[in-house]
Amino acid sequence: MGKILYVQPEKCTGCRTCELTCSFLHTGEFNPLRSRISVVSFEKEGFFYPAVCQQCSPAPCMMVCPTGAISRNASTGAMEVNHEICIRCKMCMIACPFGATFYDERANQIIKCDLCGGDPACVKMCRGEALSFSSLNPAVGSKKRAAAAKIKEVLEEVR
Amino acid sequence: MKLIIDGREVSAYPGETILEVCRRENIFIPTLCYHPAFKGQGVCRMCMVELEDENGNRRMVASCTYPVQEGLKIVTFSAKIDKVRKNIIRLLASRAKGSDYIQDLAGQYGVEPLDLPGLDNEKCILCRLCVNACKLMGSSVLAAVWRGIDKKISTPYEEAAEECIGCAACYEVCPTGAIEMKEENGQRIIWNKVFNLVLCQHCGKAYATEEQIALVERKTGISLPALCEACRSQNLAGRLKNFSG
Repeated sequence: MGKILYVQPEKCTGCRTCELTCSFLHTGEFNPLRSRISVVSFEKEGFFYPAVCQQCSPAPCMMVCPTGAISRNASTGAMEVNHEICIRCKMCMIACPFGATFYDERANQIIKCDLCGGDPACVKMCRGEALSFSSLNPAVGSKKRAAAAKIKEVLEEVR
Repeated sequence: MKLIIDGREVSAYPGETILEVCRRENIFIPTLCYHPAFKGQGVCRMCMVELEDENGNRRMVASCTYPVQEGLKIVTFSAKIDKVRKNIIRLLASRAKGSDYIQDLAGQYGVEPLDLPGLDNEKCILCRLCVNACKLMGSSVLAAVWRGIDKKISTPYEEAAEECIGCAACYEVCPTGAIEMKEENGQRIIWNKVFNLVLCQHCGKAYATEEQIALVERKTGISLPALCEACRSQNLAGRLKNFSG
């Protein structure tokens, strides 16, 4: 398994540097509306959460794409959009559980995090270290998953 | 395998069409009915190229449907091809008087449209990209109906189709803006069918039709709360906030 973009919202300061970095590197513009990462802020509580593609496996966006325009890049593990064959039906936006698939109105394109081809720029610019790009050891990964599944069960019971 | 395109040797894979090879090699061939998401249709004939045999005889083929063969000699532009393309544009511009896209194209090619009566607001050029998009979406609602000069793209019996999910993929792929879609008062009207848009529970934005959401749920097996994209991440963040605080 490759590296993952790890988000720690409790460390996020809400500076939105990641949004600007992302839009500048992908479009040449400092425009948060064209960014592939979006910070949700709760100013009163001082809580911020950078919403970004979690590169799900299996990925709902890929499951609903009628043209096969969304596919996983085998080397980086990122779900990438092939703009050539995308017909902009926007099913992926409806299907994304995290609301992390965006539509760039100016370019008329579906945009989502592509991990910058395996070296995410937002991570380098993040001052609060809320974003990090770390590798996941397969042995630890499966244990993490099992532990997370238990927590999920407990939470569901509580709810 | 090797091909010769405009005197240049180019490699190609079996099963590819001439147009696909040219696109990859950055050799320009104009197209109207081609979209990389679908197979070549051979409808508009704008992509005509000439094939040359050993004796130097040439014949014209539609590059979007012609599969590559070993040693094929292809000419992508000649006086004859230019004439064919100009004729096509002239005829389409005479038909689609209402389409700015086609009229601009006629200006670029320097052709005068013919004066045909009764076609003042026509925009459709019958390229069938919408038909392909609808098929791929799994609805297969659109098709060419009637024949001859009455031919047009529509739903069965030109009525609201049961299978239509109002995704507007047809509207998005249409190159000439011929498909009409209206969104007002929480409703989307397309192809004579009225869809109730689902409103985001948080901000009230109309973000999808009920049918679209049902299709997503069927394909993914996940049922999401009725929230628009932005509010979905906000909802998630709100839950994380309670968890960490």
